[in-house]
Amino acid sequence: MNRQHRGSTQLALAGLAIIAFAGTARAVPSFARQTGMACEACHTVFPQLTHFGRMFKANGYTLDNLKPVRGVTATRDEMLALTGLPPISLMVQASETWLARPLPDSLAAGSAQNGSVAFPQQISLFYAGKIAPQLGAFIQITYGNDTGTIGIDNADVRYANSLVLPQDRSLIYGITINNNPTVQDLWNSTPAFGFPFASTNASVSPLAATAIDGTFGQDVAGIGAYAFWNESLYAEFGAYRSAKQGATNPITGAAAPLDGTTSNVVNGVAPYYRLAWEQAWGRHSLELGVYGMDIKLYPGGSTPDAPVALTGPYNRFRDLAQDLQYQYLSDEHQVTVAATRIHEQMHLDASFASGASANAGNDLTTLRIDGTWYWRRKLGLTAALFSTTGSADAALYSADPVAPGIGVVNSATNKPDTSGWMAEVNYVPWLNVKLSLQYTAFSKFNGGGGNYDGLGRSASDNNTAYALLWFAY
Amino acid sequence: MKHTHLAALACCALLAGPLAVADDPSPEALAAARQVAVTTCASCHGPQGRSENPKFPRLAAQHPAYLAAQLHVFKTQGRGDPDAIAYMWGMSAPLSDELIDGLAAYYGGQKPARGIRSGAALVASGKSIYEEGVASEGIPACASCHGPDAAGTDDFPRLAGQSAQYLLKQLASFQSNMRNVAVMHGVASGLKAQEMNAVAAYLQSIGS
Repeated sequence: MNRQHRGSTQLALAGLAIIAFAGTARAVPSFARQTGMACEACHTVFPQLTHFGRMFKANGYTLDNLKPVRGVTATRDEMLALTGLPPISLMVQASETWLARPLPDSLAAGSAQNGSVAFPQQISLFYAGKIAPQLGAFIQITYGNDTGTIGIDNADVRYANSLVLPQDRSLIYGITINNNPTVQDLWNSTPAFGFPFASTNASVSPLAATAIDGTFGQDVAGIGAYAFWNESLYAEFGAYRSAKQGATNPITGAAAPLDGTTSNVVNGVAPYYRLAWEQAWGRHSLELGVYGMDIKLYPGGSTPDAPVALTGPYNRFRDLAQDLQYQYLSDEHQVTVAATRIHEQMHLDASFASGASANAGNDLTTLRIDGTWYWRRKLGLTAALFSTTGSADAALYSADPVAPGIGVVNSATNKPDTSGWMAEVNYVPWLNVKLSLQYTAFSKFNGGGGNYDGLGRSASDNNTAYALLWFAY
Repeated sequence: MKHTHLAALACCALLAGPLAVADDPSPEALAAARQVAVTTCASCHGPQGRSENPKFPRLAAQHPAYLAAQLHVFKTQGRGDPDAIAYMWGMSAPLSDELIDGLAAYYGGQKPARGIRSGAALVASGKSIYEEGVASEGIPACASCHGPDAAGTDDFPRLAGQSAQYLLKQLASFQSNMRNVAVMHGVASGLKAQEMNAVAAYLQSIGS
């Protein structure tokens, strides 16, 4: 569900629609071309990583088995080491989505069309691979049918190096610059590369999501330093700051500096941290970890009638999460179980003062667990449970933002609670082509099971069937 | 008769592929190889080549000449079993001869991995096949090439303490000729599944 949380609580606080690329996780054939290794070395099936894939990422996407184009000085100092092939990939997603019950028409009596075709849902171009020794990148540019435009998607540029320690233990260390907290993470239990790896953009998204759960993808930029000791202990610390796409300074017309007319601007920097331990035995591996973020936001959104500068009260979101990932990988069976629990404390000084929230503080807890089994990397089944619960807030969750009487995206109970399950069947005829059928069932949506919006819509009306063709080259 | 047969097989083995002779690597090559081994190869082959994942062979204490020969075969894409294609064709492609020799020396110099215990009856049966072969089926004793304690030689790999699952997969690859080695194709084609299981269990248990 994480990819559906675009209309998140935090951004709704200031009435901002976040940049709307679906932000699904990726894996790219340019890595395979660069390393000369099949997808299976790094993935169970894309985009889920194996241990070797995690190490490839930690090492900065730089493992390169191609003959480079080189440049050296007279003293043999290396000046250039270009990969023999440009690390470019193309990815296409086409899909169809059915809702259990059609949405109401936004203006007239009747229903919106059901059975939404997305061709394409997304087309992405990647630069994914080595730039120079110790320097690599995963940069995605996406056209999405929801925006109808091309823009930056996930990006992670890395410097990585390694040391050999006594007793032949390794220490990989590096710096990542990225635009989506957790996109740089190595496990599929954290939000950016967690299940579902692709999801529809033609259904109904729940009201609430925590800040670290994809809410700020492509809306911030951060720099982090990390170390991975002996392929077991991973630690990272970073900080994010607003890096808005498409925002302009009203005085100069330039891309920045941001002022009060821009919504949801990070106050200072938002620290991000991550600690994880991975243990392998035989064909099994287990990861346990924590991660979190502390983000302060100025609501902004200044208008001539209601001017506000980027000073004064702000909203603060403190996210603390735990995660777990288990893998069993053989040639016949590939099993991955991933889980995370994210708890968020909201201190809504700015929103409370303006009446955008009824409480000065709220909390939100998201729990997800998913299990995937692949047979020979050909046929896959995934089952997942998801739940978000939190405190009731009459101002934050009850408003009907589209128009009175429409409902669908509001909560009659003023609660953010959403829960349910997902099932997915995958067929992978080639390792870079995937056909998926996905079903999402809600037992609770925006605080209720039946009539959650006060206008007769039930949580199960938002159950979604989604068929996807996904390939990359 | 058996010795004649083995001599012929050994001859075939020597002709089966380039068996490079590892030179003594320079200290610089050894240092570079250690860096690569610890920061790259170890992700699959385990710390100091003592893999605990049966998908990836244990390289610790393997004969340097054999390791170097295999790396050369990977590099020239002469070994066609699925994991060789998926992993080692790519990994070996940029390796210089010097680095190959360094890696071979690095792993050859490591302490062997501890063996893995297996069922006593299976081990006993496997030991018998390993040491004496299966005369009724014309299967020679494995020990005649791989050595009485399965420590191997420059031309024939060390098998002692190697994971049984890995060994079985290699036998299947020899059988199907995906890994094209005439000697082992003959041996693997003659062995029954139960015999393969027994030999693999015995070899895995050595040093446990």
